[in-house]
Amino acid sequence: MYIELMQYSVLLMAFSMVAAKRFSALVTLFALQSFLLFLLTFSEAAKNGSTRLYIVAGLILAIKVIAIPAFLSRITKKIKVPDGMGLYVNTTLSIFIAALITLLSYYFIRNFLPAMDKEAGAALIISLSVTLIGLFIMIFRIKALAQVVGLLIMENGIFLAGASITDGIPFFVEIAVSFDVFVAVMILGVFVYRINSLFTHIDVDKLNELKG
Amino acid sequence: MEGFVVDWKLSFDALSIFFGFIILLVSIPSWMYSIGYMQGLYSGGRILFAKILLLLFILTMFLVVFSANALLFLIAWELMSLLSYFLVTLDPHEEKASRAGLIYILMAHIGTAFMTAAFLIIYSYSGSFDLSAFKETCLILPLKVKTTVFLCFLVGFGTKAGLIPFHIWLPFAHPEAPSHISAIMSGVMIKIGIYGFLRFVLFTLGVEELWWGNLVLVLAALSAAGGILYALMEKDLKKMLAYSSIENIGIIMLGIGGYMIFVKMNQPLLAVFSLAAALYHIINHAIFKTLLFMGAGSILKTCGTKNMEKLGGLIKLMPVTAFCFLIGALAISALPPLNGFISEWLLLQALFYGALAGATFAKMKIFLALLAGILALTGGLAAACFVKAFGISFLAVPRSKKTETASDSGWSIKAPMIFLTALIFIFGLFAGPVFKILTGVAASVSGLNNGAAAFTFNVLSLAPQEGSGVHLNNLLLSGALVLIGIFVFSIFKVISREKSITYGKTWTCGYYSVNGRNQYTATGFSKPFRVAFSFILMPYRKMEKIRDSYYHVKSFKYEVHTKQLLNEYFYKPVINRIFRFAEWSRKLQQGSVHIYIGYIFLALVFLIIFLKRF
Repeated sequence: MYIELMQYSVLLMAFSMVAAKRFSALVTLFALQSFLLFLLTFSEAAKNGSTRLYIVAGLILAIKVIAIPAFLSRITKKIKVPDGMGLYVNTTLSIFIAALITLLSYYFIRNFLPAMDKEAGAALIISLSVTLIGLFIMIFRIKALAQVVGLLIMENGIFLAGASITDGIPFFVEIAVSFDVFVAVMILGVFVYRINSLFTHIDVDKLNELKG
Repeated sequence: MEGFVVDWKLSFDALSIFFGFIILLVSIPSWMYSIGYMQGLYSGGRILFAKILLLLFILTMFLVVFSANALLFLIAWELMSLLSYFLVTLDPHEEKASRAGLIYILMAHIGTAFMTAAFLIIYSYSGSFDLSAFKETCLILPLKVKTTVFLCFLVGFGTKAGLIPFHIWLPFAHPEAPSHISAIMSGVMIKIGIYGFLRFVLFTLGVEELWWGNLVLVLAALSAAGGILYALMEKDLKKMLAYSSIENIGIIMLGIGGYMIFVKMNQPLLAVFSLAAALYHIINHAIFKTLLFMGAGSILKTCGTKNMEKLGGLIKLMPVTAFCFLIGALAISALPPLNGFISEWLLLQALFYGALAGATFAKMKIFLALLAGILALTGGLAAACFVKAFGISFLAVPRSKKTETASDSGWSIKAPMIFLTALIFIFGLFAGPVFKILTGVAASVSGLNNGAAAFTFNVLSLAPQEGSGVHLNNLLLSGALVLIGIFVFSIFKVISREKSITYGKTWTCGYYSVNGRNQYTATGFSKPFRVAFSFILMPYRKMEKIRDSYYHVKSFKYEVHTKQLLNEYFYKPVINRIFRFAEWSRKLQQGSVHIYIGYIFLALVFLIIFLKRF
């Protein structure tokens, strides 16, 4: 029961991120969503008593809940740009589109994997929606940092899918992906910093001047 | 995927050894020539670089010819194309050379794509890239597949050989390359295309239908006539030679196409004969085209230009080059008793006998007779073309300052040319024994019975058909020619006993103060042909008058150009369309990261919705 609750909360967090206007809010919400994932994994670990899952949960806590949000907020403070993310689509419409995305995922899963049992199906729908919402944020937010967070949200969605429908992604893949994401965020953060110091803004939509 | 293993198996059968021989025949003199040619043209480091590239290029050509594995063949082939590309663009400051290289590498890759397709089709049936496995598989291929494979090979190898619809790279790449590279490319590399055709179509695939041979013959006739027509219009010496290479490839392909139809017409003896004649022309063209390019190169080196309109009078300034070029020009114009005459005579004989023999193929009679006519026309035009090339560049008086001070180059340039000139005589005079060997090669390619004995009357004479009474003994013929020459000369001496020689400037007709600009030009020489063949060449002129007043024309410009039919009506529209499409598709690339991610998103949503359809 509480596992489903947490899964739905992950989706809820994704929706709130769609609604978020300020970057600091986005980062906080991302940390919250990651924390929910941590709880999910931790409870799974407690249920099975497997050390591996404990380690994965620990990694999520360390990297996604603490390190990455801390790093991102540090960068935001450092580059001193206005906190607003710059929306192509206003919040209301964004939430509406996110709802449509969820509906699309629902139809997709129900049509193509009808044999799946209800709980696993719901988890898959949620994870697909979260992934697509991450992509949506990447597309419709102007500032470069939003792209970074969008990528992280997608990763969260994929992790949820892996954890809920299979018996968990293979352990080493899990660890590798975790570090991968961490390194990716580091690099992207540095990029954002550089972009800012070069162009004095991080508006991705103005980067098309770079086109040859 | 087990077949995707490159094994270094080599095979040394008659065909490979024949082509290996040709590579040696051209590359050794060219190597010697390159030493003298590059001296002073490039810096020391670049010369070393060029030599290493050249060595690798020659090695890859050997690898292509001797490989017994299709994958190895393909790799060597690709290396050969790439290395020759770097050799063409050796001079980094030449804008034209890099453009020519671009066209060359593009066409080479289109050709390779077709070859690869053909190989993969055969591989999907055979499961192995071994050439002997290829040959066995080709026996059981369905007809449709065979036809596809044949067409792919025709385009692929035709591009390398410079057969006419696929030739456009040749007139660009060959003139712009350094001269020893042009010599090797024209002398050997385009023949490697022929080798591929022989190896994969004739030897491996086999001739399945009559129309294959007809198609090859039509393309060959087009190449022969078209190549020489464009050569005749050209005033750039090396470009003219490049076009003439297209012509000669056409002549060679006429022999090969002849083989293909004679096999289908149940004339095995004639088929072998025709193929052997083609092989003979391969050797001959390798010899005299290399020689001519060397001659053109030595002119380019001393006079600094390859434009005929700026040359002239070189026969007195560069006697050795002039003599060698003259012999090469005579040979390529198929004049007896030189080697070019022998192979073209043999080809004509093959076509005539084919026309006579094909009693059950009434249409083929007319077709073959027409082809023989085209071959004869080609020979005539070639003679005109080389009269022009020799006459304008070597005779009369120099047309530019730099030409006046020209002189023969060093021995490293002269010796290979003299060597090749000697070969022209040898392959002309001793045609009998050579042809015997070649019929052996041709018979081994075709797997038909070895009819070598039937074609030689005795050791030194050729006889295309047994018991028909047509023989050619080239030694006797040349002896007769020499005797007639001596006879005419002595009669002339007897008649004009009194000395009535006055010395004057060449071609001045008694006028004085006539300079190089009063002479006949290359463009003027080719005018009758431009008019006669205007339906193909489509000449047009541009006039430009700059005048002070109506009565005083200050300067006058007059240009004559010809249109390249195929370029104008096929390649240009296609290329334009590709560029327009590329221009249009640039709209997709707005440079906005959001839109790029949006594309991914849309693709994903599209797949989600329509997954069931796929």
